[in-house]
Amino acid sequence: MFTLFSGCIEHLCRKDQFHLLILGVDKSGKTNVLEKLKQLLTDLPGMDPSQIMPTVGLNVGKMEAFNSQLVFWDLGGQPGLRSIWDKYYAETHGLVFVVDATDPERFDEAKVALDKALGARELVGAPLLLIANKQDAEGAVDMQEVSEAFGLGKMDSIPCIVQPASAYTGQGLVDGIKWLVEAVKRSPRRYHVTARRR
Amino acid sequence: MGIWLSRMLSYFGEKEARILVLGLDNAGKTTILYRLQVGEVVSTIPTIGFNVETVSYKNIKFQVWDLGGQTSIRPYWRCYYPNTQAIIYVVDSSDVERIGISKEEFHAIVEEEELKDALILVYANKQDLPGALSDAQVAEALGLADIRNRDWAIFKTSAIKGDGLFEGLDWLANTLKARGR
Repeated sequence: MFTLFSGCIEHLCRKDQFHLLILGVDKSGKTNVLEKLKQLLTDLPGMDPSQIMPTVGLNVGKMEAFNSQLVFWDLGGQPGLRSIWDKYYAETHGLVFVVDATDPERFDEAKVALDKALGARELVGAPLLLIANKQDAEGAVDMQEVSEAFGLGKMDSIPCIVQPASAYTGQGLVDGIKWLVEAVKRSPRRYHVTARRR
Repeated sequence: MGIWLSRMLSYFGEKEARILVLGLDNAGKTTILYRLQVGEVVSTIPTIGFNVETVSYKNIKFQVWDLGGQTSIRPYWRCYYPNTQAIIYVVDSSDVERIGISKEEFHAIVEEEELKDALILVYANKQDLPGALSDAQVAEALGLADIRNRDWAIFKTSAIKGDGLFEGLDWLANTLKARGR
């Protein structure tokens, strides 16, 4: 009886676990975003931006926020390593795509990478949070411009928003992730994604 | 009191980390160990047993264990697993024929319960040789992307030339420090 009761309580209190994949071209600030989120959403200090090196593999960030267990996968964005991105798609609930808003010259390259990801069958229906990063820096283009450059206005197949943000100051990050988690909770995809525990 | 004192000391003194260098025979593990420790290429013979050296880098004292990689002695690797903070897995990127075996050994290590918290650093070694696979190709061949719950990184290295080794150690040092806080 007690087992049944405690099992029920456990079931009711259990938090859903969501996998959020952070992608973007190299130097867009993906790891900075993750480290700042650790600082903002948990009591971990997060790595100092000056210590962050280009990622050549995977950084995992686990945190509890918005009534869920969030697991972030931050993958390296150098051209050679983009080939491993798709291995993580099948278990991804929501996508965070980071763009350096001060570097419009690389928008085309970033858009190609984003479109390729969104075109992958394993990622169909995953909500997209596009972070227009480095808003603290001079010359950062605004949300409107980023939205147009990436053609998000025309995208109606998946929930998506552009969030102006700065991984240095933390501006905009929590709002963006909050939106993404809510979108993931509403998306039918959450019921298809089955996690392998490894 | 003792705990407090040792904590204070660990704040100022060097952190220590126990690292295992694993990989098939002839991957270059021993050459890497001595390249890291003395900064030179030493002539090596196949390791039967192990070599252990201490490498101080970025305020971390790495105790690096290089274990022999021949088929007959691989079963003994597991004796060294407890209390390991990181694995450096060395792959001979030019040995395309045996990369499948390397993958099997790698996955056996990754699935090991005692190593579930160990960081995974892969050296795609022997990049100086013609026909060496790239870092992305080695990552693919090893199935690195099957790892979802801990940090991993891959570096192109040439132990003979000394390329890439300290970049990998930088990553280890940074990641271990970030964890320790």
